[in-house]
Amino acid sequence: MGSTKPYIPPALSLISTNTVRSGNPLGLTIQDCASWANNLQIPNKGDTILYTGCEYQMTSYIQSLRNILKKVKFQDSFFSAFQHIQGFVDLTKAYTHIVKKQRETYDNFLRMSALTLMRLNIDFAYLEGELYSGALLYEYGLFEEFQKQAQLVADVFKQAGVKRIITLSPHSAEIFLKVYPKFVDSFDFEIITYVSVITDAVKKSNRALSLAEPLIVTLHDPCHLARSLNVTEEPREVLQAIKNLVLKEVASNRRLTVCCGAPCELIYPELAELAAAKRVRELAETGAKVAITLCPFCHANLTGGVRLTGKDIRIIDFIEIVCQALEGGNAGG
Amino acid sequence: MPEAKALFEKYYDKLLQSAGNDNISLAISWALDIWREKKAKALERFPETVELAKEVRHLKEDCVQRLDELVHQASEALKENGVQVYYAKTADDALAIVGKIIGSGKVVLAAKTITGEEIGLRQYVENLRNEYWETDVGEFIQQLRKEKPMHYGLPALHVTRKEVARLLTNFFGREIPPEAPAQVAAIRQFLRSKYSTADVGISGCNALAADTGSAIIIENEGNIRILTGMPPVHIILLGIEKVAPTLHDAFKVAEVTWRYAGFTMPAYLNIVSAPSSTSDIEFNLVRGASGPLELHVIFLDNGRSTLAKDPIQKEALYCLKCGNCLFECPVFQLTAGYYGGHGHFGGIGAIWNAYITSSLKEAAPIAYTCFRCGSCAEICPVSIDACKLVTELRHTIVRTARS
Repeated sequence: MGSTKPYIPPALSLISTNTVRSGNPLGLTIQDCASWANNLQIPNKGDTILYTGCEYQMTSYIQSLRNILKKVKFQDSFFSAFQHIQGFVDLTKAYTHIVKKQRETYDNFLRMSALTLMRLNIDFAYLEGELYSGALLYEYGLFEEFQKQAQLVADVFKQAGVKRIITLSPHSAEIFLKVYPKFVDSFDFEIITYVSVITDAVKKSNRALSLAEPLIVTLHDPCHLARSLNVTEEPREVLQAIKNLVLKEVASNRRLTVCCGAPCELIYPELAELAAAKRVRELAETGAKVAITLCPFCHANLTGGVRLTGKDIRIIDFIEIVCQALEGGNAGG
Repeated sequence: MPEAKALFEKYYDKLLQSAGNDNISLAISWALDIWREKKAKALERFPETVELAKEVRHLKEDCVQRLDELVHQASEALKENGVQVYYAKTADDALAIVGKIIGSGKVVLAAKTITGEEIGLRQYVENLRNEYWETDVGEFIQQLRKEKPMHYGLPALHVTRKEVARLLTNFFGREIPPEAPAQVAAIRQFLRSKYSTADVGISGCNALAADTGSAIIIENEGNIRILTGMPPVHIILLGIEKVAPTLHDAFKVAEVTWRYAGFTMPAYLNIVSAPSSTSDIEFNLVRGASGPLELHVIFLDNGRSTLAKDPIQKEALYCLKCGNCLFECPVFQLTAGYYGGHGHFGGIGAIWNAYITSSLKEAAPIAYTCFRCGSCAEICPVSIDACKLVTELRHTIVRTARS
């Protein structure tokens, strides 16, 4: 009956090995994850924390990884050789120049997210030792590893005396709100999405939001944010409050948004690219030159879709547009 | 497990090939726009369908809880009606029953049947040296293409009319233009020449009432009306999850199904409870009047009762096969039914393939295709959370692979 055993794609064991060893699926070190916050003087202790979950940091490596995955396909031997010696990060050394550029982009998003919170007078801390939520482990059916990771994450929060968690990515928010309570005892932290925090603060503050030049944008709702967390109006409220910004809705919006394809990028990388290309065409049809999203994986995958289709549209994160608008269009790095 | 790995590689090759075929995404995007509009209109005219769908969800929860009891009750009612009833534990059992009823050298006409596709019905009947024709236009096209159906409601939705023209020109040996009306006319003419001489008609059904033994079959093309009425033998093949407690319940299931498939009302609603009969001569019951002489009903288990006992995955059995989820699925929009296995597609299809059609091993590549984006759950009339089911299935796959 041995032949009835299913095969599992090599990416799964890499993700699980790396998470167990490094606390995140790509094998990033604590320094890799936390360096964006250097010189920002963010307190490392407090009731409220900004949780990045290392997701924006990991995104920098994904494009390179995908290139590797496309070449090796389902060659387990290739992966297992690397798995025992190095992590995913080392695998991407061949693509150092790409990674460097990407890291600048995503570290910048992280810096802007923190600066924006500061400008809006929101007190928050950042735990340098924060761990990845384990969302990917759960999504790929690696429940045993996920359970362990979730417990570690919860312990880190408890030890730091955290009460309130601002999650930067929808995947973290969703996994904390919908899945953690089933795997971890008394996971009773207040979870709030970055976009909700910003929306509230913008409403309460009298700071004007404006862009230096008129800009037509469209909005790509991340699946988990829109459907699972039902957060669809908050980003629109903020965008509509920005002077000089015009929002043109893509046909499939809000809860009917279409997935960018990123979720399968480590299993079926080419399929992820084709799905992104399709979504980019839809976004470009609005006539907007900029598409805004609120998830690092959407951002990276859709950016790949832009390259593939050659469409004249740029993908930016909600973090960036808000940061720019708060500066009156003069900042943003 | 080189064989299990080869399944992944083969599947992904096909999936990528279909995703790279622009005709597929083009044809689906046209179909999608029309279908969305049709469905919106149908629900606008009958807004109470949304509430009815919730009721049907509860109904399905209840039915899946007591499959044995309902199938027993339905069998008794059918026997009382003069129907020959069979219970097939496996696909092979079902095929053997069909083989016994049909024999060989017959002309067999089939209505689009997902359950038939699940067990490889066409291939089996043809191998017994019978002539077998699909009578649903889309399914007929797929038969000529030697390809499996690609969607529950629209089996050939990924084929453009230009491709259909080439296919039919080749088959009929005369020029068939790339226009749907002319293409349908040619198929109609061909099928009409078959109906009067056919020996057996095979159909599935959308729901079967346990109290009266009535099968409800939704259709628009008129093919089912003819093939369930004209040939002397009618066979109904259905999965046991299709049984509803009462005729009234079965009707609710059917109504939600057609409304969410985009119809205010289908052209025809066939309700079949018995072979034709008359008592007009001295009030003596004679089976077989103008309609069929025999009606055979085959209940197919094929893993369903096992699935029904799984506390999480049993939800997959609530599926009405309306095809909503497929239309809105980002993978399906690129690849059509290549995202799926035998007869069952998409994320929910992974569950059906794992427990019913194939095996965990064959379902694994399908399960890992799902984006878990939730667009299927968003529009499913009976709120099946396929993301949750796929995630749990992946866990089962991982556990089994590691055991």
